[in-house]
This record gives sequence, structure tokens and C-alpha cells, in this order.
Amino acid sequence: MRSAHASSVAVLACALALTGCQGGVSQKGEGSRNKIKIGTITSLTGSNAAFGQAHKNGYAIALDELNSRGGLLGKTVELDYYDDQSRPDQAVQGVSKLVDLDNVPIILGAYSSENTRAIVPAVTQKQVPLLMPTATADNVMETGSPWTFRICAGSGAYATATVAFLKGMGAPKTMAIIYENTNFGQSNAQAMQAAAKQAGIEVVDTEAYQASSPDYKTLLQRVKARSPAVIYFASYLLDASTLMRQAEQVGLNPAYYTSAGTGFAAAEFPTPDKGAGRNAEYTFSVSQWLPSAKWKGSKEFDDKYVQRTGSHPAYHAIEAYITLLAAAEAIKKANSTDPKAIRDALKQLDMPETTFGPIRFDSKGQNQHPVLITQVQGGQYKVVWPGDAAESKPIIPTPPWTKR
Amino acid sequence: MERFFSALQAILNGVLTGSLYALIGMGMALIFGVMRIVNFAHGAFMMVGMYVTYLLFQGAGLNPYFGFIGSAMFLFLLGYLFYRGLLKPIRGRSDFMQILLTLGFGLILTDGIQLLFGADYHQINLPLLGKNLRLGSQISLNAPWLISFGIALMLGALLYFFVMHTMLGRAARAIAQNRYAAPLMGINVDRVQALSFGIGVAAAGVAGGLLLPVFYLYPTVGDQFTLKAFVMVVLGGMGSIQGAAMAGLVLGVVENLTSLYWGNEWALAVDFVIFLSVLSLRPSGIFGSQRV
Repeated sequence: MRSAHASSVAVLACALALTGCQGGVSQKGEGSRNKIKIGTITSLTGSNAAFGQAHKNGYAIALDELNSRGGLLGKTVELDYYDDQSRPDQAVQGVSKLVDLDNVPIILGAYSSENTRAIVPAVTQKQVPLLMPTATADNVMETGSPWTFRICAGSGAYATATVAFLKGMGAPKTMAIIYENTNFGQSNAQAMQAAAKQAGIEVVDTEAYQASSPDYKTLLQRVKARSPAVIYFASYLLDASTLMRQAEQVGLNPAYYTSAGTGFAAAEFPTPDKGAGRNAEYTFSVSQWLPSAKWKGSKEFDDKYVQRTGSHPAYHAIEAYITLLAAAEAIKKANSTDPKAIRDALKQLDMPETTFGPIRFDSKGQNQHPVLITQVQGGQYKVVWPGDAAESKPIIPTPPWTKR
Repeated sequence: MERFFSALQAILNGVLTGSLYALIGMGMALIFGVMRIVNFAHGAFMMVGMYVTYLLFQGAGLNPYFGFIGSAMFLFLLGYLFYRGLLKPIRGRSDFMQILLTLGFGLILTDGIQLLFGADYHQINLPLLGKNLRLGSQISLNAPWLISFGIALMLGALLYFFVMHTMLGRAARAIAQNRYAAPLMGINVDRVQALSFGIGVAAAGVAGGLLLPVFYLYPTVGDQFTLKAFVMVVLGGMGSIQGAAMAGLVLGVVENLTSLYWGNEWALAVDFVIFLSVLSLRPSGIFGSQRV
């Protein structure tokens, strides 16, 4: 049944493609018996394409490693990409396409919290495990679905780490939260509200915004009027750059610019050509990994990434990389491509030494991953917290724009 | 006093942003006036204008504040050819087909750019970006936005003059008033419509070029502006270009005041509340009569 289905799909694909199809049907029939397809949903186009590319590069490095070691269960591993165009409705369509048409036994993705939250009901209904590399909004793990697993640390951990860092650095009293108004921003803003309250930091302003806007000057002006000591951003990359450029125009000078990673932790962010350039200087960010991380293989991953892309990776890339390796490990342990067997293997998964630290999922499917705080110093991300991992001392307070 | 200055600052920011909106809206209004179709490719044309300006900057080192001229010329040609090649053959058929055609062409532009230049985003980094004009201690205006305001003002006036005082502009207005009577008066409708379409999208191209230094570009970046332009056309009175220009400024100021008093996330919502109220309460627009 399965191979008949596969060949009918192949015929359809041929009819659509019309080219490059010589002997396609028989090849495909044989091919699918010798291949394991892993479904991947990410944002290859649209406003989050920079992160989708980071995913793709991370996955590609892991795929090379897997196949050069002989693949999985004696078969070659193949990635089946679905581009969600940075839109949640497309991500949901991706689940249908990957599961119903391509019969993938597991899905990795999506990139954003918004899109990941959107596909949780779909994978739960279709009973396919979903392994999340980068969605930090904690509500993606709060649905009670037994099919979801998350590699990265979430919004709660981000807020707790940032507050702990601030407490150790002079314990500022007031904070403003500025967040993009989709799932990622909302979830991180909520987590920070709670964490700040617990630590006795007064949140004097919260500002939600649309991430595609060219103009945040009035928003920043509003924040400036409340003069908070700390600003906590939850932003994607393009908006992060615009915000920091316009923070200078408005003359917004908090003692600490902090952030929930993502845009503020992207490799492009401190560069002048693709980010905020010098305006990124002194900003703090939560981070999950850096090329200088202590875990074995970090340096090698960095080298491979630079060789492939010409630039250094941020944590989004390695989270994709490790997600594919964890999926492969689960398939190997399950010794099967049955979605349920893979799900059960994920629950038992224990990878004590990976490039991203130990990987183990708790009863809710969450991998406990430690969080670092970095600061942009001289155009580079430097770890400044916690103390035992710090490469550099934090520069505080942030110098005002006129004194830079 | 503090409150007064923050409101003033928001209004000034709104006028600066609104001047770019106005250019986009005027182009859309010109096309709507002369052809009675909503150009759903307007944002995509604007995005192409951003790419042209970007390529001129990267390839030839041409400053975007001159590069936008190249963008305008390219878009004029593109719009003119689009009309001649695709829109003209289906003139006289249902409006619905023409709307679908512009929608489809917008997708082709977006995907074509993506094919040529990839989905990755780009930005340029002018030293000008960090320069601000300070008025007293309270008000500061960012240099690139000021320059684009000046250029938009000039071009907006030029476009207004063109429509009101040139033969071609009069012909365009005549078609807008009655597309069946105009040819009887000796007006070459095809020629005027082709030129108007070219000029309309060229205005979007200029706005794209002027926005580039303070924004970023990727293939779908123009989409949000199609919707804004549509709102301006409706507010401005369905095809009145001075109405659309006013609507652009109003939109910019309202967005910024909303942002100041309620928060940025409400800015878009307020746009559409105004849009819907105008559509239902005063369908001829807030800025008067139904003419170009």
C-alpha cells in the first residue's frame, strides 16, 4: 500500500514537474525504501527568513554528519522542507502536506513561537512527534500534548535568568517591557512581568508593537517619558535593528538594554550591513549557545558553519542542528520509523554529551537547557553571566548616546 | 509643557511618515481615478522600487536620495508596459478580472524578485542615519526622514500640478469623470491610461526608494503598503489625488498619536476603524468630491 501510494505521488510529481523525470517512478519507488524522510517546517521566506536560513544551515550540517556515518537504520536520511513563509496558516498546511502526502514519521520545527503554537494541535491530531528547536514561548509546551518535545529553553527561563543577572548587577528598580505582539513577544513579556514582580522590580511601562513597522519613534518616546532603568525587549531581527537605530534618534538612555534573545542574539544583529551595527553595542541578550561554549564540538560546529556560510552561527542554527541529531538518535533507539515508537524513544532519550549540552526530556517534553547572558562588546557577543561561564565583564551603565 | 512637546513630536513624526504614505496613496489614487480599478500590485511595485534603489546603491554607489530617480524611471516603464501588454487587452471586461490581474502581477513581481535575489533581507547603512536636527531640547527630527519629507513634498506638488494643469492631466481627469464621453472629445484613452498607470506606480517607486535608508527590504515587504494605499484612496475620496495626499498625512499623524496615547499595537487597528467608518458613513471620502 505504502509504495503504491509513493509511486502515485511520484507520477503526480512528474506530471507537475515535466522535467528531470527520466525513470523517475522506479527510482522513486526504490529510493523511498532506502531513505528516511524527516519533515522540517521553517520560515525560508518572509520576514523571518534570516532565522529560517540559520535553521537550514544547521540542519544541513547535521544531515551531512548523519549520512557520512552511514545514515540511519541502513538508510540515507533526507530532509523534507516545508516553507511556512513566516505565516502560521502556512505552517499548519505544512503538517498536512508532510504527514498526509510525504508520510514523514516526525516533524522538526517551526521557527517562530507563533507558527509552532499553531502546529501543535495538527501534529497531536495526526499523532506525529514534533521536535521544536527554537520556539521560546512557554505556551507551546503547555497544551498537554504527548507528541511535543522542545530542545531550547523557554520564556520563563529567559526572564528568570535576566532578573537574576540584574540583581547581581546593582539591582535596578524600574523596567519597561517592549515586545512584538505575536506569541513570542507576548509570552516573553508575560514571563518577565511575573519575574520582575517577584524580584521587586517595578514594571513602569509595557509596550506591544507590530514587527513590520518602519517607525517606532513615538513608542520609544513614550518609554523615555517613564525613564525606566532597564528595558527588556522581545523582538525579532528586523524590528530589533529598527528599534535600536531609533532609540538613538529619540535619545532613549536606560542603564540596561536587556532582551529575550532572538533578534538581539542573531549573528547579523551587531553587523552594520545586516543589523543595527554600532547601535547594537552594550545591549544585553539571553543566549542559549555561543561558538565559545564549553560543550565539546562547539568549536568544530562553528568551523563547519563558517566554511559553509562565511559567517559565525548564533544559537538558532545549533538548535536546528541538535534537533535533527536528537531525532536521528530517537529513530535509531526506536529501530523503526513508526511515529509512536519514535515518540516513545524520545521520552527515554538520553544524550549526556552533545554540542548543546546534555539532551534529556522531562515528563512534559522539555529539555532543561541552561541560559547565558551576553553583551555586545566591540561588535561581538561576549558571555557576561553566569560568573563561571563569563568571558568578559559587563559594561554598565550603558553610556548615553551622546557619550558614545 | 512636557505633554505638549511629546504630542508635538508625535505629530511631526506623523507628518514625516505620512508624506511617504501620501506619495504611495497619490499613485494609487491616480490609477484608481483614471481606471476605476484598485491596483493590488501597488505595494509590490513599491518593493521593486526599493530593490532598484538598493541595486543602484550597491552596484554604482548611487545615494538613494538620487537613486530614487532611477527607481521612478524604471517603474514608469514597468507600469507603462504592464498596462500595454496585460491590462489593455482585458479593458472593458469585468472590473473583477482587472483586479485579479493586478493581484496576480503583484505575486509575479514578489516571486520574481525572490527568484532573482533570494528571500533574504537587505538594508543599507548611510552615515546620515545617526544625524538629527534638534529644535530646542524637546524636539528632534531624524535627517533621512526630513530629506524624504522634502522630496515627497516636491514630487507631490509636481504630481498635483501635472494632474491639474497639463493637457495630459486634464485628459486623465476627463476620463475619470466619464470614460465613455472622454474619447468622444478626442482623448486617446489608451495612451492616457498607460501613462497614468506608469506615473502612478512610479510614485510608489519613489516612496520605496525614499523609505529604503530607514527601512529594510525583502520580497514581501510591500504587501502592508498596498492595504495602506487602499485605505488612503477610500479616505481621500475614491480617486482624488489631493484627497489621497491629505489622507496619507492624516494616517501618519493618527498612527503616531495613537501610538503615543494608546500604544503602537493599536495604530493599525485605528487605521482600519477610520477606514470602515468612512466607508459606511461617508463613502465619498472625507476629503470631498469624487474627482481626480
